[in-house]
Amino acid sequence: MIPWDKLHGAMTHFPIALLLFSTACDFVSVMLKKLPFARELRSVSLYALAVAALASFGAVISGIALSKGDLWGRGDFGWHHRFVWPAFGLLVALAVWRLVVRDAMSRFGLCLYLILMLLASGLVAAAGYFGGELLLSGGGVP
Amino acid sequence: MMSTLEIKGATAAVITSVVILAATFTAGGIYRNRYETETQPGTKALAAENLAVKGRGFFFQSCAHCHGRDADGGEDAPSLLKLQISGAHMALVIQSGIKGEMPSFAKKYNEQDVAAIVAYLKTLH
Repeated sequence: MIPWDKLHGAMTHFPIALLLFSTACDFVSVMLKKLPFARELRSVSLYALAVAALASFGAVISGIALSKGDLWGRGDFGWHHRFVWPAFGLLVALAVWRLVVRDAMSRFGLCLYLILMLLASGLVAAAGYFGGELLLSGGGVP
Repeated sequence: MMSTLEIKGATAAVITSVVILAATFTAGGIYRNRYETETQPGTKALAAENLAVKGRGFFFQSCAHCHGRDADGGEDAPSLLKLQISGAHMALVIQSGIKGEMPSFAKKYNEQDVAAIVAYLKTLH
């Protein structure tokens, strides 16, 4: 029997950490764009975002297996999913956009991208919070 | 405004995201339906009934101490009658436990055993 609960717990931290790290790198590179390593920071954020998006598939697949395909639910379980699905969709979309555009971003594109990265980080953080609550409350049965 | 490359990228991003979410929900829905059907009393009558009978045995073995023999709750555990959560969610609670309140039964019962307990709990609705 595959221990999906342990796998989900292990895999879910990669996209959370990498997305937050990628967002932080982007903001630092924009705010301190005169720094010699600002360009490198943008590269780091690109690869961190790409790996976060890839890792999110592992987190999602293990989560679906763990919940037996219940993609909404009630209580903390439901709240976890209300944040997970928009976060997953947005994370994949941002990674694809960034991989296509790379550094050829317009000012408007960069602003929009940073706002959406902040939004995705917030959604992922909220999903992680309710995931933690689920762990503490054993399924968050209302 | 946005360049042509950015617009192409945005189109690719939206299409990829929508396709992946649709595939995820479709796969999840199929998995859930299969699990709910397997643990639903009344469908595939004999198999489901046998599953619930097996689950009843597990219930008396591991759950009745706290939740009561009638599953209507004990001093330290709530009633399991008329649970308003899905079978998948019940299985998750049985396998994960509740920290400080209910132990995890993941090591004691395998997937099929948990499905049997869920099938029994559904008969209590």
